[in-house]
Amino acid sequence: MDEQKKREYYEKYQKDKEKGIFFFPDLLFKDAVVSLLLFVALILLAYFVGAPLEEQANPADTTYTPRPEWYFIFLFQLLKYFPGSMEVIGVIAIPTIAILVLAALPLLDRGPKRHFLNRKLWVGITALLMVGVTGLTIVAFLEAPPPFDAFRGDETAALYAENCAGCHGPAISTSSGTNLHTLIAEGEHEGMPAWSADLTSDQIDALAGFILSPLGSRLFADNCGTCHQADQLVASNPLELKQALEEGDGYSGHEGIAVPVWSDTMAPEERTSLVNFLIAPDGQRLFSVNCAPCHGQSVGFAGTESDLRSLISLGGLHLAMPPWQESMSDGEIDLLAKYVVAPATVPEALPEYQQLCSSCHGDRVPKSDDFDQAREIIAGGGSHQTMPIWGNILTPQQLEALVAYTLSAANGTPAAIGQALYSQYCSACHGDFGEGGANPALSGDIIAPISTAEYLKTRDNLTLRSVISQGQPNFGMSPFGSTSGGPLDEDEIDAIVTFIRTWEDNPPVELPPEIQTTAMPLSGPEIYTSLCAQCHGEAGEGGIGPSLLDASLQQTSDREIFESISIGHPITSMIAWGEILTSDQITQIVRHIRNITSSEQSPPAGEVSFSTDVLMIMEAKCNMCHGLLGGWDGTTYRSVMDSGDNAPVVIPGDPEGSLLGLKILGAQTKGTVMPPGGKMDADDIQIILDWITAGALDN
Amino acid sequence: MVTQISEWLDERLGWRSVWETIFLRKVPKVNWSYTLGSATLFAAVNQAVTGILLTIYYVPSPDQAYASVQYITTQVPAGWLIRGLHHYGASAMILLTVLHMVRVIFYGSYKYPREMTWFTGVGLLLIVFGFGFSGYLLPWDQKAFWATTVGTRIAEVTPLVGDAILRIMRGGKELTAITLARFFGVHVWFLPATLIILIGIHLYLVIRIGISSVPTREE
Repeated sequence: MDEQKKREYYEKYQKDKEKGIFFFPDLLFKDAVVSLLLFVALILLAYFVGAPLEEQANPADTTYTPRPEWYFIFLFQLLKYFPGSMEVIGVIAIPTIAILVLAALPLLDRGPKRHFLNRKLWVGITALLMVGVTGLTIVAFLEAPPPFDAFRGDETAALYAENCAGCHGPAISTSSGTNLHTLIAEGEHEGMPAWSADLTSDQIDALAGFILSPLGSRLFADNCGTCHQADQLVASNPLELKQALEEGDGYSGHEGIAVPVWSDTMAPEERTSLVNFLIAPDGQRLFSVNCAPCHGQSVGFAGTESDLRSLISLGGLHLAMPPWQESMSDGEIDLLAKYVVAPATVPEALPEYQQLCSSCHGDRVPKSDDFDQAREIIAGGGSHQTMPIWGNILTPQQLEALVAYTLSAANGTPAAIGQALYSQYCSACHGDFGEGGANPALSGDIIAPISTAEYLKTRDNLTLRSVISQGQPNFGMSPFGSTSGGPLDEDEIDAIVTFIRTWEDNPPVELPPEIQTTAMPLSGPEIYTSLCAQCHGEAGEGGIGPSLLDASLQQTSDREIFESISIGHPITSMIAWGEILTSDQITQIVRHIRNITSSEQSPPAGEVSFSTDVLMIMEAKCNMCHGLLGGWDGTTYRSVMDSGDNAPVVIPGDPEGSLLGLKILGAQTKGTVMPPGGKMDADDIQIILDWITAGALDN
Repeated sequence: MVTQISEWLDERLGWRSVWETIFLRKVPKVNWSYTLGSATLFAAVNQAVTGILLTIYYVPSPDQAYASVQYITTQVPAGWLIRGLHHYGASAMILLTVLHMVRVIFYGSYKYPREMTWFTGVGLLLIVFGFGFSGYLLPWDQKAFWATTVGTRIAEVTPLVGDAILRIMRGGKELTAITLARFFGVHVWFLPATLIILIGIHLYLVIRIGISSVPTREE
């Protein structure tokens, strides 16, 4: 503005003032009125609403969904539109520019005009900005989880809003095959907590149902909510549900109650949604609720997906079991029945189970609660259980999920994989059932049981994982995680944790066993066998740890070997044994290592023999069915070579052309893999293949 | 009697000329939107008075902050009122400051000769937001803790100096007792001092130059 304009302004302002009013009392009166109204409004708010105060701050509770005060919430909302590395634009660049422009406004808008119609640019920008900020604030509040009473009794939706919506928004889309129940219960990645700590298993079921079928949850609240609570019905028996839905007051539980015939009042799609809510199409959960009572933790199945789908949907008598009373003593059957009821209590039945049952039932024990019933089924054999016609019961989504899960689980559930890994790596010290025992590393120390309810309830999965991964070097437990130089990757550790968790429902050990603590063996060979051999092998051939037969060890001095043992190797799972063993004991070990490495000459692998090697495998894996049920017979050399509908099954020298070879490899073109419960151990398969390759001799 | 006392005082204080300068001045005829500034000032006074009262019982340590706020709300006579006024006064303060600013932009009141008044006003706006942010942590409830955790983390996004800003705000890598003490100090000493200085300049300018008149269509 030039001097002329300035003078004009002052003249005009002077005139305005002369025409104007006195600050006191005229304008001040208006100010006083507004301030008084403001004060009254504040008092009313304080009285009727009150200043909020939530729970005391808990830095450990990362489940809390933080939301800023309303006047910062537009910034918070803005942040959502600038994810990842763009964040800096949303939270720093835009606000900084806005503030700078605001501050410099008198320098930017320098014209003499003051009326808003003469300053459309700046008034327009301001208006846009205000609309933007107001809009963002409104959007933020709309996107926020609505308060609970907004759900009209849909308690699951409220549960979702309270626990999930903060991070996941109003809905979650999942890819098929997600094991939702497990994922919610155990949490995942950073940020998502293990909800099993806060929610019951039923509530998690309800949430899974809500996520996969929100409409079903709505229908449940409208139609069933008056009498039922969602978390009491979810994951119940689908047969019951189906009846309840179809029979109206004819259903026994609804007798005498004015309940409509739901199939009349609800469209078929609605009923499907409702059933999908109550029994979420979550394969793993469906299996554990509906199939596990008969099939155990998984079913060994090697057919195609469509075979499995028709098998499940048709139900009926799909397998016949031999009548075991014809070939077993009463005592043996009793033992097996006991094992089926509670595997942990009769570990001695394990070999028998593996020999007789696992080829059809897989490694997983069919579950039974009643000893007499189990005994009768085992003794009588036959089609001992009729499978329901699931195709009529399950919704298409549920069937799909169940088929997908069953197929993937046939390769081994995490628990089954975990069990195998556990027996390979953990049971040497912790016992087959986590019962613990004398600590081989620490004289006089006892390894407490890890399968008691108390132990498992007081440790979360994270703790178990880190113990396995990082070990407990002070107690002689090496780190097993690959990140600490051990043999197990994260998935394998998870599988072990899953297996250990299966004890929680039915702890095989309730009290620490009374263990005679044995004095620490003093001789080198004994210490080596109990401690070093776990990783380096009985004869120093290596295993989890490196081989000691390496030529480079010959150049290493005793002193260096001593230090290796005493100090350990920080990046591998070799712990510092010097903190556990005396230097005398370490010296003994060094001497023993010297002995075995200098004299060691590993014996050449012997030729495969039919009578001692192959026949034993056939006895264990094939003959319980093939001997009894006819067809090919694996009891003698002659019958192996000549019997069966597709004889000859063995072509000497050609394992890939022999039906036997194909069947045990699962590469057959007709029929199923043998044994039908899943492939044999790789070692066993290799022995048979080697025998065929060597000419299938009768040796 | 009253006249005598006021005469006696005026002789020594010169209050009459002060009174005349501040209150008995002519101002242009304006509408109700011109009361927003004084309402903001009133809210600021309200915040100051209730804030001072709150410090009598409030203890700025993680062990006792929450309990002391609870005590103020439930045990102290009219404590609920003091805290309620302070809590909602904060929202009112922000709302009024922004509305006042929008009014100033709408009428072009920041133009010559009131540019300096505007600059101090922008400073006051930032200080008011600073009050809102620092005061939010003090009750030490879940909302306070986590909103501040997130709020300070946002500052970390700043290129180059983000980490330093975060450390300065939190007094370390984590949000701890030091953060609470720091926020308390900023909320009750640093910001009020700055606020008083800026309000002083702001008011001095308003009185010296006079409030702007409502612009006509030609202006």
